[in-house]
Amino acid sequence: MAEYKLLLEHADDPAYRTLAGYQAKGGYQALRKAVGMDRQAVIDEVKKSGLRGRGGAGFPTWIKWNGIEKEKTAPHYILCNADEGEPGTFKDKQIMETVPFLMVEGMTIAGWATQGDHGYVYIRAEFCDAAKAVRQAIDEAYAAGLLGKDILGTGWDFDLDIHLGAGSYECGEESALMSSLMGERGMPRLKFPHAPLPTVAGLWDRPTVINNVETYACAPFIVERGGDWYATLGASTKNSRGTKIFSVSGHLNRPGNYEIEFGTTLGELIDLAGGVKGGALKACVPGGSSVQILRGDGLRDAVIGYEEMWEAGSMVGSGGCMVLNEHTCIVSFIWRTAQFYAMESCGKCTPCREGTKWMLQIMERIVRGNGQPGDMDLLMEITKQIDGRSFCGLGDAAAWPVAAALKVFPEEFEYFIKHGRSMIDTPQARALAPRWAQTVGV
Amino acid sequence: MAAVANVPLVKVSINDVEIEVPKGELIVESVKRLGLEIPIFCYHPRMKPVGMCRMCLVEVGFKQQDGSVRKMPKPQAGCTLPASEGMVVYTDTEPIHADRRGVLEFLLINHPLDCPICDRGGECPLQNNTMAYGPSTSRFIELKRHLPKAFPLSTYVTLDLERCIQCGRCVRFTEEISGDHDLAFRFRGADMQPSTFQLTDFESKFSGNVIEICPVGALTSAKYRFRARPWDLETTPSVCTVCSNGCNVWFDHRAGKFVRINGRANEAVNEEWTCDKGKFGHEHYNAADRPTQPLVRQGDGFAPTSWSGAYDPVLAAFAEGGDRVAALVGPRVSNEALFLLRRLFERAFKSARVSSNWRRTPGSGSVQGTIADVESGGPVLVFGTSLADDLPIVHLRLRKGATNAGARVVNAFSRPTEVDRFAAVSLHYRPGSELALARGLHGLLAGTGATAEAVEAETGVPADRLREAVEVLKEGGTALSSQGLYDLSDGPQIVEALAGIARATGGRSECWATGANEQGAIELGLAGEGATATLQACAEGRVKALWLVAADPFALHPDRALVERALETVEFLVVQSPVGSEALAYASVVLPTALPAEQDGTYTNCERRVQRVQPAVPPPGDGKPDWRVFSECLLRALPETPLFNPREVMEAIAAEVPAFAGCRYEALGPEGTVLGGNLLDTPDEPAMVGGQA
Repeated sequence: MAEYKLLLEHADDPAYRTLAGYQAKGGYQALRKAVGMDRQAVIDEVKKSGLRGRGGAGFPTWIKWNGIEKEKTAPHYILCNADEGEPGTFKDKQIMETVPFLMVEGMTIAGWATQGDHGYVYIRAEFCDAAKAVRQAIDEAYAAGLLGKDILGTGWDFDLDIHLGAGSYECGEESALMSSLMGERGMPRLKFPHAPLPTVAGLWDRPTVINNVETYACAPFIVERGGDWYATLGASTKNSRGTKIFSVSGHLNRPGNYEIEFGTTLGELIDLAGGVKGGALKACVPGGSSVQILRGDGLRDAVIGYEEMWEAGSMVGSGGCMVLNEHTCIVSFIWRTAQFYAMESCGKCTPCREGTKWMLQIMERIVRGNGQPGDMDLLMEITKQIDGRSFCGLGDAAAWPVAAALKVFPEEFEYFIKHGRSMIDTPQARALAPRWAQTVGV
Repeated sequence: MAAVANVPLVKVSINDVEIEVPKGELIVESVKRLGLEIPIFCYHPRMKPVGMCRMCLVEVGFKQQDGSVRKMPKPQAGCTLPASEGMVVYTDTEPIHADRRGVLEFLLINHPLDCPICDRGGECPLQNNTMAYGPSTSRFIELKRHLPKAFPLSTYVTLDLERCIQCGRCVRFTEEISGDHDLAFRFRGADMQPSTFQLTDFESKFSGNVIEICPVGALTSAKYRFRARPWDLETTPSVCTVCSNGCNVWFDHRAGKFVRINGRANEAVNEEWTCDKGKFGHEHYNAADRPTQPLVRQGDGFAPTSWSGAYDPVLAAFAEGGDRVAALVGPRVSNEALFLLRRLFERAFKSARVSSNWRRTPGSGSVQGTIADVESGGPVLVFGTSLADDLPIVHLRLRKGATNAGARVVNAFSRPTEVDRFAAVSLHYRPGSELALARGLHGLLAGTGATAEAVEAETGVPADRLREAVEVLKEGGTALSSQGLYDLSDGPQIVEALAGIARATGGRSECWATGANEQGAIELGLAGEGATATLQACAEGRVKALWLVAADPFALHPDRALVERALETVEFLVVQSPVGSEALAYASVVLPTALPAEQDGTYTNCERRVQRVQPAVPPPGDGKPDWRVFSECLLRALPETPLFNPREVMEAIAAEVPAFAGCRYEALGPEGTVLGGNLLDTPDEPAMVGGQA
């Protein structure tokens, strides 16, 4: 299957980043239609569309929207998680930079459907250009009466603001994002069943909808063309509907963001990005650094869909597809991944705080050539002690890539531990090696 | 854990035993109903659960319609999980044991195993949980984390960062209990550490509590550090006598010497907290200059003597009696000693010149409610006192009332205090304008035609603030102050105006004592003419013999010149003191006595709660309890059957002093007893302090 450009159709058109250009291409028709509909009807369209959260977890979006109290007793908040920090993922950045109005309109629709009062876009501070583009879009929307008081003559007020994060991966976790937004330390908060869902008590203990940038950007299409139409996209998969933007990076001829319909195979996605460069395909991390690595043989046929990918041994995640060629040392790759999670653990819970650091120490020892027999078992045990025991998903996300690599590429770990150097001993690999070797001071 | 009446019960199954618990009760508490325990580190029953340490993981499932149990895929933290209908919990399965081993292994990889030199060794939750649930060996062969071992957070608290397990109890204490937010975490992940902002001093007035709630030896007491091993310590349930709150404490001692103070639970008083003044204010028990034997004046110095050798000249000097002899008593003397002192002066010396009142103006305060009432949620006017200094535990209870029960607090003081942090309205008046403000507020509340602008002109408090305060207080509230107000020249009038505010709003008027047994002395009728009058009488030669009982007038009275004149002029001066003091230099006779925790006796705290203190350590040398000194003097001076022990003294008090009617040692429950409360209905119980027989 080829690329299916829905969200990114006008990504290359600079005019689309202005309100006039956006409206010329049909922008804000969806909001106009939505405010003419019953609020529940909007949610029902989203339900029919089968839209699932694009941030990584794949939770049905309509359930969140439908969970907001219908008889309003308090202000409702609409949050957009634009703290895109998953290594390998850069789709939200492009959405915000090139099609910001899709997100702004999507949030406004969500606000309408849930009687929202105030929206916040939590953007990681490194995304200066994205933040500027969103700011500009919001300002234009305000000027045109598409945000603020009495939107489109409905008597409904909705405000939208930007909040810049301060550079913590953990703040992309929805409850930590809310902590951060409320001015607290960016640490996750108690979750259901330990505390009410965000839809009941989220930001400032008020009903809160929180979705990913891409999820909101889908909303205008669903409302405008109907949930049934949207559900025809990806109909070949079990339960994944619509399109998904994959940030394809690594050893590829044309790395970049590619929007595909669910049901496309990983091989087709890799071909879209110009195919593997510099050697044969060795492995692929399909959904961002948190998800399980897949071995090159056979992965081309893996179908992209939430359930399908799970059956293939990995996850759709946030769509950060990293493709590795045959010259990649998996041990070094995992060491670098472990470094990221040890650095980004917020420190709240014991398994993640101590486990990620310990895993990094072991990985570092191995890549320094001091691996010990038993290190693989120990690493595997540590991943089990973290996975499912940590306070939030960060611990799981730190454990999965290590556990998967140990399972999928055991021979590379065994070789590295036994010989004190990488099994991948090609000129290309050696050319890469000094970069990590220097970092750890080998 | 008693079920609250309006909370519905739900059926949960814990390790296949079905029990009913209040809906929403945390599972970590529910299991205690079955006598089970879930190991914890970060959880503390008095603070909000956070689920950080993951030590309390349990398996959780839910009963399905068909009777089967659907288990949740991941183990859940028992400390944050509220009980709900049909919940099934397993605390003792192999996967849970593995999870506990895992968490402990993680906690120990960077925790130095310096238990043999750690203050916490022997009473350490990490040690205990490791012994009970942990792996016996570690698989960690990397370099452990190295950080400062003795970082001085404050004069009292030393932080060993290597031992910290980042449970956040200390941080949460400063956020949720003391409310000063002095501690926070800095850095991230494995580098995360508790710290003050910008490494400034940990200034909290309740900092010592974090030492006790730290589940490892990371937060240690600078005073106790390396001084003892817990298993060498003996402990005695006691009551702190530093201020009038009467906090229940554990008095830890070793080989007859005081070592440290820890908080002891008493829900009616201090819950389990202590203030720094109390926790670190017992060092004088070990002071080197404590008098150890009776001394009599011999030229410029003293000659040691026996107790008989001391009593003879004392009784001879006081024999003249009447107005020519007087006694001044300090604020930390037990009810029993106070009573016998009064009896000695009344019966043997025919003198009424016994005074415990060191304030500038006379007054007996006002006690209408209890410490616990402060947190009930009604509006409170704090007037003319810095609560965290004068009545620290009342401060904590009031803060709890403000943050948990929504109590609206108006804080009136001449400078900012800790109460301002949670007060709805702060009134910072010009020093000296207390009476104008109290009368002004009374006028505004009683609607006597006073205007906020007029009060502003007199006190400097903005009129808008005054109106806000009136809005809060008109709901009916407690006017809370300390008897420190009597140190102002118009003290009695201020207290009267505050009582007027309480009357106008239908609230209570509380003007509480600050000395450990200041209230007891008032109840026993020892307020007397006041120290100033007595000292003046001494200075003018109208008093021949003066008896100072555990009172250093140089520390207690503001007029140093008057004190010097009085002590120089008086012909015969008895200094009965447990500690060295400047007054010793003027003494004719020195009588060494015991400190509160060295003798048996009761103390009446600010809410008129009578609590018993038992002897924990012996007084140094020949030191005697105060009550015994008076009892022996009485025996020598009068042909009366002596009272042989404090218990009998209390019976005599109960018989003679109406306020103490019915008060017997047996009737003092584990929480003590409030005078005028349920004393007479209390069934006989064995003498207990703090639930320990």
